[in-house]
Amino acid sequence: MKKTLALMLALVMVLALAACGGKSGGSGSSSSATLTIFNSKMEIQSQMEEMAKKYSQEKGVAVEVYYSSDTVAAHMATRYASNDPYVLAMVDAKDIYSLGAEHAVDLSGEKWVGDTTQAISVGGKVLGFPVCVEARGILYNGDAIKAATGKDFDPSTIKTTADFQKLIDEIVAGGMTLPVGLQKEDWSLGAHFLQEVYELHDDPDAFIAGIKDGSIKVADDKVFNSLMDTFDVLKAYNYAKDAPISAEREVTEMMLAEANLCFKFGGNWDWSNMVGTNYTEHLGMMPVPSDLDGYNTKLVGGGSKYFFIDNTVSAEQQQAAKDFLNWLVYEADGQDFLVNQCALVPAFSNITLSVSDPLGASVKSYADKGALVGNYNYAPDDHYAKLGASFQKYLAGEIDRAGFADEITAYWATAEVGAH
Amino acid sequence: MKQNTLSYKIKQYFMFAGPGTILFFCVVIVPFIYGLYLTFTSWDGVSSTKPWVGLSNYAAAFADKDYWAALGRTAIYSVFAVVLINILAFFLAYLVTSGVKGQNFFRSGFFVPNLIGGIVLGYVWKFVFNRAFVALGSAIAGGTAPSLLSTPNGAMFCLIVVSVWQYAGYMMLIYVAGFMSVSEDVKEASSIDGCTASQTMWNVTVPLMRASFVQCLFLSITRCFVVYDVNLSLTKGEPFGSSVMAAMHVYNQAFTYKNYGLGQAEALILFVVCAIVGVTQVMIGKKGEVEA
Repeated sequence: MKKTLALMLALVMVLALAACGGKSGGSGSSSSATLTIFNSKMEIQSQMEEMAKKYSQEKGVAVEVYYSSDTVAAHMATRYASNDPYVLAMVDAKDIYSLGAEHAVDLSGEKWVGDTTQAISVGGKVLGFPVCVEARGILYNGDAIKAATGKDFDPSTIKTTADFQKLIDEIVAGGMTLPVGLQKEDWSLGAHFLQEVYELHDDPDAFIAGIKDGSIKVADDKVFNSLMDTFDVLKAYNYAKDAPISAEREVTEMMLAEANLCFKFGGNWDWSNMVGTNYTEHLGMMPVPSDLDGYNTKLVGGGSKYFFIDNTVSAEQQQAAKDFLNWLVYEADGQDFLVNQCALVPAFSNITLSVSDPLGASVKSYADKGALVGNYNYAPDDHYAKLGASFQKYLAGEIDRAGFADEITAYWATAEVGAH
Repeated sequence: MKQNTLSYKIKQYFMFAGPGTILFFCVVIVPFIYGLYLTFTSWDGVSSTKPWVGLSNYAAAFADKDYWAALGRTAIYSVFAVVLINILAFFLAYLVTSGVKGQNFFRSGFFVPNLIGGIVLGYVWKFVFNRAFVALGSAIAGGTAPSLLSTPNGAMFCLIVVSVWQYAGYMMLIYVAGFMSVSEDVKEASSIDGCTASQTMWNVTVPLMRASFVQCLFLSITRCFVVYDVNLSLTKGEPFGSSVMAAMHVYNQAFTYKNYGLGQAEALILFVVCAIVGVTQVMIGKKGEVEA
């Protein structure tokens, strides 16, 4: 009796130890043949789940879709720390550079590589599959502008900061005194607006290297000053200028969509929050006005969100993931999913479906005529948070332009650009 | 069978405490030691190699100004929150043991905030601060009143308010148990000896409740020092990164900025600070404890 008890106890202990020492391959419930997909675009999660069900039925591959509201890099870090990677993970471009060399499967041999200009290669190998094209610029509501000025709005007439100021003066004269919305989020200010200061240089790397070695003074830089001049105009006519840090993204987007604002700095992803509103007809995107010839007619953007396939999962899973990517690009159902159901702007030239949302359509028209300035994907991971905080101070009037330039210089004194 | 042999004792121990010991070992001790090992590496959190770098993470942690600013901010926040939590909890406990009508209802009512997770609570209060108070302020003052959450001091104030609201009910329960444990006899004796109600309170009840104070202070201090959930959902460190608490800084450092080793070293320092503060407080508290 006692011996059996002792034996059982010993067994329990061994089991418990084995449980904590074991390394599990896939995530808890999924078998080694399941295609696990990590989705980092919140707005398409329900479409992804529905697609997974349909795809499983049609192709006989078990598909599981996961989402996390965490920062993408942070979520991937926790998954890799627990040795439980996704087969197919949707990450930001910079994550391909930081994770790809070690974790991603070489996709150079895939057919779709020839149909896109946005794939990411590291060390000569194609590692990232572009999910969609996204671009930044000024979102406008043509109906609101027309209501104030009485004229149809043609975005191509606005190039310089002075043009923009003149248009705003007309709108103010027409009755809308504060026609601009600005987001206070650090990613909008730090990763989107400030980043344009690098991107609108002919050689962003040289510009940052110049800040680092002191040969370039940020405060005297033409691009920085030109963009900040435009930002000052936006700031001066911000509807929430009394409390810019209290402005909420969803409210701003709704106001723009419903013609209570004329402009907002943002990108085509804003559509996900505007589609549910009572939006007016003539919405679109235009470049950020500036005195930088050659750049003030282009949106900034490119491939956004990239899929990579993990190189430690089974060959079967890797093949399933490759098949899935081909399905997205070459099969009617996949194209329909990407363009119609998720309302994304495809990054592949063979997809001819027209984009349904007005912001996406703007982006596509700029992309089609080659008027996109590429993203600068190599800023360090803390760049948007730290300089985003500095930019928030500028927005709130806590520091002036010189103070902001000093903080940028101070940041780059210790920060290192990611490998590329 | 003899009951005082070593093997018998070991068997008895494993029979009753074995599962607990094993679990504790697996989920606390092993990760702790592994975490300690990671502080000596420059691991980025995703790479399969963990290069050994010796003590340089600790040097970097001591040189990380943002970290010390966050830790200082956490200390200030903790002082305010702990004091307010305990004062409020004590008076709530007094209220719900004094025999007011429906005191059981109040007891559960005050405890409810503690049952709502910190994340949800943060979002609820964010709405209150950003919408309700702003609408109220705008209606009274005219124009757009800025939200409390948009100024550094305001954000800290909001964090303290929400934490107090969250924990006061929980600490109240411990104080209620304290109040109940003080026997009626001694209170009656003191009133016969001529004490007023407040004298009984300060000279008899409170000293006899010392154990409750020690416990509540310990719990609230340690919880405030590692606050994360409310911080994340209520302020997210904004505005201008001025409400980033120590735990959030550690998380960002380890996962967002991909300096896992450095983040881990900073977490360890946070743990040590927390342990020193907590243990000192308990030791001081225990010294003067009165046996009833």
